[in-house]
Amino acid sequence: MKGKLACAVLMAPFFLLLITVFLIPTGTAVWLSFFAADQPGLGFGPESTVFVGLRSYGAVLSDPTFLGSLLTVVLYCLLYIPLMVAGALTLALLLDSGVAKLRSWAQMSLYLPHAVPGIIAALIWLYLYTPGLSPIIDLFAKADIQISFLGIDTVLPSIVNIALWSNLGYNMVIFYAALQAVPREVLEASVVDGAGPVKQALRIKAPLVRGAIVTVGIFTLIWALQLFTEPVLLSQSTPMISARFSPSMYIFDAAFTRNNYGLAAAASVILLAFTVALSYGVTRWTNRKAA
Amino acid sequence: MRLSRRTLLAAGLTAPLAACSTPQRRGAGGPVEITFWSALRGSQQVVDAFNSSQNRIRVVFQQIPSGGQGGYAKLSNAARAGNAPDIATIEYPQVPGYAIDGVARDITDLVTDRLKQKLLPQALKLTTFDDRVFSVPLDVEPMVLHYRADLFEANGFELPATWDEFAELARTVKSRFPDRKLAIFPTDGGTQFACYAWQAGAQWFDTSGGRWRVSLADEPTRKVATYWQGLIDEDLVFSNASDSKQHDAQIGQDRVITRLSGAWDAGAQMRARPAQKGRWRIAPMPVWDEQVVGTHGGSTFAITKDSAEPEAAMEFIEWQCTHPDALTARLKSGTSSQYPVAPGLVEAGAKAFPGEYYGGQDIYRLFRQEADKIRDGWVWGPRMTATLKVMQDGFAKAGAGAGTLIEAVREAQSGTMPDLLALGLSIEEGSR
Repeated sequence: MKGKLACAVLMAPFFLLLITVFLIPTGTAVWLSFFAADQPGLGFGPESTVFVGLRSYGAVLSDPTFLGSLLTVVLYCLLYIPLMVAGALTLALLLDSGVAKLRSWAQMSLYLPHAVPGIIAALIWLYLYTPGLSPIIDLFAKADIQISFLGIDTVLPSIVNIALWSNLGYNMVIFYAALQAVPREVLEASVVDGAGPVKQALRIKAPLVRGAIVTVGIFTLIWALQLFTEPVLLSQSTPMISARFSPSMYIFDAAFTRNNYGLAAAASVILLAFTVALSYGVTRWTNRKAA
Repeated sequence: MRLSRRTLLAAGLTAPLAACSTPQRRGAGGPVEITFWSALRGSQQVVDAFNSSQNRIRVVFQQIPSGGQGGYAKLSNAARAGNAPDIATIEYPQVPGYAIDGVARDITDLVTDRLKQKLLPQALKLTTFDDRVFSVPLDVEPMVLHYRADLFEANGFELPATWDEFAELARTVKSRFPDRKLAIFPTDGGTQFACYAWQAGAQWFDTSGGRWRVSLADEPTRKVATYWQGLIDEDLVFSNASDSKQHDAQIGQDRVITRLSGAWDAGAQMRARPAQKGRWRIAPMPVWDEQVVGTHGGSTFAITKDSAEPEAAMEFIEWQCTHPDALTARLKSGTSSQYPVAPGLVEAGAKAFPGEYYGGQDIYRLFRQEADKIRDGWVWGPRMTATLKVMQDGFAKAGAGAGTLIEAVREAQSGTMPDLLALGLSIEEGSR
């Protein structure tokens, strides 16, 4: 009885937060997506809130700008997630192998960017990317190389770069911690069997931290699908980032520029479903391979 | 005690009634206070002039950022929170949106015949939907051609009266001066492009059938898009954003020698580049065949749903739009060259506008002549900010060499229809 009470007390904050910051907003979004304040005809008459069924969903899914934003974020994931996972794992393996000198210093300096809030990080990079301000662009210009970080083809890689800079160190720490749990006798056995450091890293260590890789992959995916801060800030300096660049930006634009709450709510629910489906798919896929 | 639903309802009903019985925000015997938001330059001077002209109504003015810079977001948020100002300044393209959202109230009954007679009917038409008036226009801004008279004269350039002559002149300028161009196609200029289409006879939105018929890429618009695409492809015009340091430099360094924009822009030019005093003149915008023009810019005043004093608000609006003292106060601030919707004010405008910048040219006489050429029948759409934004996203890409102007227009249409559908409006898609 006492144990149950303690359990309830300890769990209460979690459920309280789950309800207030997740379930209630989600429920509101779902409700908003099915109802709208309609005026018939030209729309200048009095409003009345009516059930509109799947109308808002139909509108979102027939909007090429929304589908375009989904495509953008999928491209972003395809570019960002492999680079992130491979980069963080490589760094962790290097640190773990003992090749790197000054290990704690390296860990610290790689982790530090993660302590910078996303919005500050984007501002720093905005400065480095903006022609006329950026010392990097000036440097290239001196070498007679014209470089544009915010051009039509370079803007997505530029955003990927910001995300990598921010998150590489954090994920490296997760991999590094997982590598510490690899049994030393397994590693010793592999050395006895003649595995060099590279082979050991790829064939022994990496497979043994698979769980961590999947976790990082899924978290990165969920984070990446909500792409918002970086493109919003960069859009100040380039017209190549539209107001509906990513799904989150589309939702923001629908709600606050277009004052179209039904549309914004439906788009949010679709993004949620898309994220859940993708995460579930990735989990199922990795589990199947494990079995 | 448990409150019954009836008690609660009664309490809810009597509260606003109690508030109505004594006019809100009226001090004991003091003047009625109304709030007014605007991004227009010189508004403070106008408000001061009104406040000192009488003592029944006191206007409290707040300068807010222009629409795109956050002014419209501020207005929408305030309206949602139930504390919008009595009077808001809304540009023509945004009027139907705010009317549909219920922010701008139906003021048909407040607009007296006396007021109506003082205003240019084609301007009032732009703020009238479904036979209901939603805002009172302040200025109407025919597009005109601002040109560098000094450079035109020194090189023997003739003013282009038609778009063909304009293109021909653009070729001459390019061949004579490799670093100069006749004009810019502003990639952030959805409203300029709308004006070109308007002039050519486009009908982007049509409400005559009781539903919103949307045809952004109609035949006249396609003609205009093809024309400007040709100028861009031939490298005869700059194609970058006009609200940019790049464009400031283009004008400041004499690399652009004409500007196509509304009459109001004469004042903005004076403010932005005092060093070019005396070098600019203004001429009619080039035409296709018919002697017609479109408008670019212009503002209207709406009374919001939250106003407790709509009559007092209308009194101030009427004064602002039709009283010579209002226009004089605004123009004396030296930063405005608006063309008033009330033709009776043109005289006062011509007198109050400091003319030295344009070498003493009587620009108000030109504006008057151009205002009479505004093509009748244009209708702005329900979500114009968003529609133009999508179009500009496409223009920016076209300016960078990816895609074309007409593709941008089509994207704007397909990015607008879902919006209107989700708003529950009756819609119909025209040619595209």
